[in-house]
Amino acid sequence: MSLLNIENLRVSFPTEQGPVEVVKGISFELGRERLGIVGESGSGKSMTGRAILRLIDKPGIVTADKMEFDGLDLTTLPNKQMRALRGARISMVMQDPKFSLNPVIRIGDQIAEVLSFHSKLNARQRRARVLESLEAVRITDPERVYKLYPHEVSGGMGQRIMIAMMVILEPDLMIADEPTSALDVSVQAQVLDIMDDLVTRTGMGLIIISHDLNMVARYCDRILVMFNGEIVETCAASELANAKHPYTQGLLASMPTLDEHRNRLPVLDRDQLGSV
Amino acid sequence: MIDLKHLSIAYGETSVVKDVSLHVPEGGSFALVGESGSGKSTILKAIAGQITNWTGRIRLGDHDLQQGRDPALIRLCQMVFQDPFGSLHPRKTVDTILSEPLSIHGLGDQNRRVLETLDAVGLARKFRFRLPHQLSGGQRQRVAIARALMLDPPVMLLDEPTSALDVSVQAEVLNLLKTLREQRGLTYFLVTHDLPVVSFLCDNLGILRQGELVELATVEQLKQQRFSSEYGNELLSKSY
Repeated sequence: MSLLNIENLRVSFPTEQGPVEVVKGISFELGRERLGIVGESGSGKSMTGRAILRLIDKPGIVTADKMEFDGLDLTTLPNKQMRALRGARISMVMQDPKFSLNPVIRIGDQIAEVLSFHSKLNARQRRARVLESLEAVRITDPERVYKLYPHEVSGGMGQRIMIAMMVILEPDLMIADEPTSALDVSVQAQVLDIMDDLVTRTGMGLIIISHDLNMVARYCDRILVMFNGEIVETCAASELANAKHPYTQGLLASMPTLDEHRNRLPVLDRDQLGSV
Repeated sequence: MIDLKHLSIAYGETSVVKDVSLHVPEGGSFALVGESGSGKSTILKAIAGQITNWTGRIRLGDHDLQQGRDPALIRLCQMVFQDPFGSLHPRKTVDTILSEPLSIHGLGDQNRRVLETLDAVGLARKFRFRLPHQLSGGQRQRVAIARALMLDPPVMLLDEPTSALDVSVQAEVLNLLKTLREQRGLTYFLVTHDLPVVSFLCDNLGILRQGELVELATVEQLKQQRFSSEYGNELLSKSY
């Protein structure tokens, strides 16, 4: 049975010129696999991730024919149960640890907050679990990091702390929205490897939302390409090079490669794509 | 064109750049790569005159850089920053942004120069009186490049000029940078951690690690993925 089943998801926002649809009726299923959603800014990929967690507030309007997570209907689930679901069964890793961690709470206490909300562990057990999860994201001296404030750690470590916070309750689904775009290339690989490792070990489903085609191709099993709020292409990650849709092909071609011999890079012709 | 000799920079006790020497010929395009904290942006800031407590020698063309404010430097090199959303004044129009350096340096014929530079960076003239928030990320970066070109400097310092942009927009800006360099014989000094961009835009690169220059390599070595230092190859393996 699939973990997540979405049919005809639409997200729109009202403007003075009438409502603007940013996600235009997309459908997909997710099993216990790693799915990548790629697209450029404005393609609606982040909105899709947020809609799954019901994080789009008014005036945004979310509609879907079907939005099921493990048999639960996310469109009608009461807010109270939705809160119990978030963090415990579906979690989300945000883009930038600088803005997503609370600057005035020590890291250990911040991670422990998840546990005090969702579990009945006592303080000592909570602390042990937090140290364990910090170790799981390859932080070598968890005792010291436990007591630090977010500004005292580097970007890469901050992102690993976010991941520790998200996996501490072993969710069934993790949504990572641009988990590495605020990080250095060398740290990127490390963070992704850790995420990959956790996914394989615990068997959770993973959705990586990113604009980086190469990264997604390397760390996911399947890829959805979004353009203008629609899914224009679905393919296995290994098949990305043989993509059919002109938008995907355009994106792939416009990236410089390590062994670059082209004198000019091809540029996407957006007007033409609009008519495809 | 750019000549660094035994450049060292320290913030207080911490030494950030350690004895770096390198040379970029006129019309060359050089990239400095390394992880964050390796000191690559610090070197860029020293050349741009934003940091003044360096030791060693920095030479741009025939001009020896002085410690402290150096007005001659501004006509020699200009910088393009990483984030086009943060580097343009939000309440100044494109026209004001572009003509400001002209006024400061007492250059006339502002109307013609602004229009010419807009054409050069491929921005339609209708954008001249718009504010930055009315432009897309790629258009803003074009304005930032235009601003750097206003004083006709021979050297351009580029601090991750495309890493905040989408890939298709990145392609447009990279093409523009390449064209400008060919047309005007500019010298580029680029700081980045994106090796494919280096492969497209540069002739030579330097690999920096914890403030030390580990290797100077040609772009051919990068294309064949054959660096001589261990750390260089490590960086290659991490890039995809």
